[in-house]
Amino acid sequence: MNNWVRENLWRHVLAIAVCLFSLFPLYLVVLSSLSTNGSLHLTSFVPTEFSLKNFRFLFNSPKIPFMHWVQNSLVIASTVAICSVVIGAASAFAFSRLKFKGKKFGIQLLLLVQMFPAILALSAVYVIMERVYRFAPQIGLGSQAGLVLVYLGGSMGVNIWLLKGFVDSIPAELDEAAKIDGASAVQTYWLIFVPLAAPVLAVVSLLSFIGTFNEFILARLFLVEMDGRTVAVGLQQFIGGQYSQNWGPFAAGSILASIPIVVIFLSLQKYIVNGLTAGSVKG
Amino acid sequence: MSGFVRGNFAFMGKVALLAIVTAILALLTEHAFVQKEYAIGSFLLFAILALNFTYLTKFSIPLKFFVPGILFFIAFVIAPIIFTLSMSTYHYQTGNILGKVEATEQVVTLGAEPDANGTTFDINVGETPSGDFAILVSDIANNKFFISTKDARTEVPASSVTLDENGVATAAPGFTLISAETLSKSDDYSRIHYKYQDKFYIGIEGQNVGAVFQQSLTYDKAAGVIKNVVTGDTYKDNGRGNWAKVGAPDEMLTPGWRAPIWFENYTKLVSDEKVRTPLIKVFIWTVVFAGMSVLTTFALGLLLAMALNRKIRGRRIYRSILILPYAMPSVMSILIWAGMFDTEFGAINNLLHTHIAWFTDANFARGAVLLVNLWLGFPYFYLICSGSLQAIPTELQEAAAIDGANPRQIFRKITLPLLLQILSPLLIASFAFNFNNFNLIYLLTGGGPRETLDGQIAGATDILISYTYQIAFGNNTQDFGLASAISVLIFVLVASISLYGLKKSKVMETFG
Repeated sequence: MNNWVRENLWRHVLAIAVCLFSLFPLYLVVLSSLSTNGSLHLTSFVPTEFSLKNFRFLFNSPKIPFMHWVQNSLVIASTVAICSVVIGAASAFAFSRLKFKGKKFGIQLLLLVQMFPAILALSAVYVIMERVYRFAPQIGLGSQAGLVLVYLGGSMGVNIWLLKGFVDSIPAELDEAAKIDGASAVQTYWLIFVPLAAPVLAVVSLLSFIGTFNEFILARLFLVEMDGRTVAVGLQQFIGGQYSQNWGPFAAGSILASIPIVVIFLSLQKYIVNGLTAGSVKG
Repeated sequence: MSGFVRGNFAFMGKVALLAIVTAILALLTEHAFVQKEYAIGSFLLFAILALNFTYLTKFSIPLKFFVPGILFFIAFVIAPIIFTLSMSTYHYQTGNILGKVEATEQVVTLGAEPDANGTTFDINVGETPSGDFAILVSDIANNKFFISTKDARTEVPASSVTLDENGVATAAPGFTLISAETLSKSDDYSRIHYKYQDKFYIGIEGQNVGAVFQQSLTYDKAAGVIKNVVTGDTYKDNGRGNWAKVGAPDEMLTPGWRAPIWFENYTKLVSDEKVRTPLIKVFIWTVVFAGMSVLTTFALGLLLAMALNRKIRGRRIYRSILILPYAMPSVMSILIWAGMFDTEFGAINNLLHTHIAWFTDANFARGAVLLVNLWLGFPYFYLICSGSLQAIPTELQEAAAIDGANPRQIFRKITLPLLLQILSPLLIASFAFNFNNFNLIYLLTGGGPRETLDGQIAGATDILISYTYQIAFGNNTQDFGLASAISVLIFVLVASISLYGLKKSKVMETFG
């Protein structure tokens, strides 16, 4: 017994303390979403009321088109997730499997540029898209399509780099066999590589989905109209703007918006942890 | 046979897709050139050529895989980087956003003065038989009517005009009314100076009102100066994007234009005290913030990893709870924390039974930022350290234990140095990430409190990137030039840090 205490007690004490630290804000949000007093105020650790008022407000209030925001976020994030993998996988395949002149230079350039934080070029992207707006408002500043293009382009470096890492880990024997049988590179890609790499591509696209869903500042600069915002921007404006202290509905909204992301994250845990050790940091 | 059919289908599909993409891009290219966006137009043209050349010839197989990626890469990564570099050499801020031609046009348009009596007329806008914009002016007081275009004024006898109930002429020979609906599509007609008399012209003030103006500023293109014909002043291009009065260079006409000033934005960082002082303070806090963030998150993560590095009861539950902060969308978590730090209604003051104004005191705000970042970041290092601890061979530790080393010595002399060696690239990556952790600062404190720094743009918790954002998009003067110069500075810093990290991780040596 004494031995157990000396060996293990501190482990439990520490783990429980940090677990409480982790859970505190989350628990508080759940409490707030169910309470009616409208702030992140701690009245009691035990829930004293159970009201769905905040959730009803979210769905019914004409002031906050919450469902539009969710829809926008889902549409934007899925488009980016799918397109970035479709475009990125081809480049990653070429980097990983094909031989060509300038490959080393290409990889080094990719490595260097994918370190460039997209946010640094924020004003440049803004000014460029403002000019695009002048001749094509549909894909310029203020449009969701424009935002998708910027996301796609901005994530291209990181995505190709990440995908290349995954592709490298897929054994090359099969595509070499196909090559010997006379398949062209394009055939090998579509008939051998894509089916083989499908799970990996799915994981990368889900990671890209999470990243896009979580993006804030570009969406904030781009999407000005109330109905066109993403969840992150909508909810931030909702508590920051004229409705300050409206924490109840915010809490409810952030729970609803977070659930899909948390579920995806937890189910992909294994891959994400592998990706972590490869050096990616989730934003 | 089936292979042939499939090949054919694939080919047709490819051509169809290529045709659609080409058509869309061609349309955009045309619009871009019409709007004089030559750089963007040329890029679109290049994209069309590259796509068609790659997919319709057998020039290069790898290129078939790369082209879409490369095009996106150029458009949204390379181009913004080059653009940032170029903007950083320009005087490019509120009041100096337009091109020179546009700005000069606006200066001249604004450079008009109403005549001494402030004469106005009732007018109707229409066109002449030759299709030029014209106005039918009714000088009701004198019962006179005339048609005026850019170049000419034609008197119309009162007998030949049609009047409406207010006595305003709506129709006259040689004048066709344009409907309000058609006019609303373009405001071209409203910028024309319609002929009045001598130096005076009629400018459109509203849909049916014209006022008599005298052009005071004229642009002398040959001499490259703007002259004020009323006061006799001359304005010269001051080389920094403004027309400045000869003899009084501080008197400038607005708007100005974006003009190259080469390295002035960079030298300003050092020589202009208003920029230098906050920049140095912000820089110091950025380094402290990034360093402290890495240190605290790594320490807590490592401690937890060591505590749970043994199969104790409930380990799986602990683990699932501990990674929750990492699984949450960080935007949401940061906003939640922002609410919890509220002075009146926040849970933190509530829990501590205090009444601290967290975000108005520099030190409290900085502490709060670090605490929240600890919450956000420790699971990352917990996950990483757990994995790495298992990867460290146990022989060394066992050998040390046999030699009589106590657990503390083993940790300090063996485990920690080994871990640091394995993880140093990740620690550096984390430092680089936090160096630019814009969301945290922007959403939690907004960079504030501002009073303790310069009281305007820079705040006590501002890091370089959020400071840059305030310069470019804040409520004060928006200075894209200066912001770009700081962006370039940040990139150089971050790239050096990251390259150092990569060198350590030896990634550079593994490909080739």
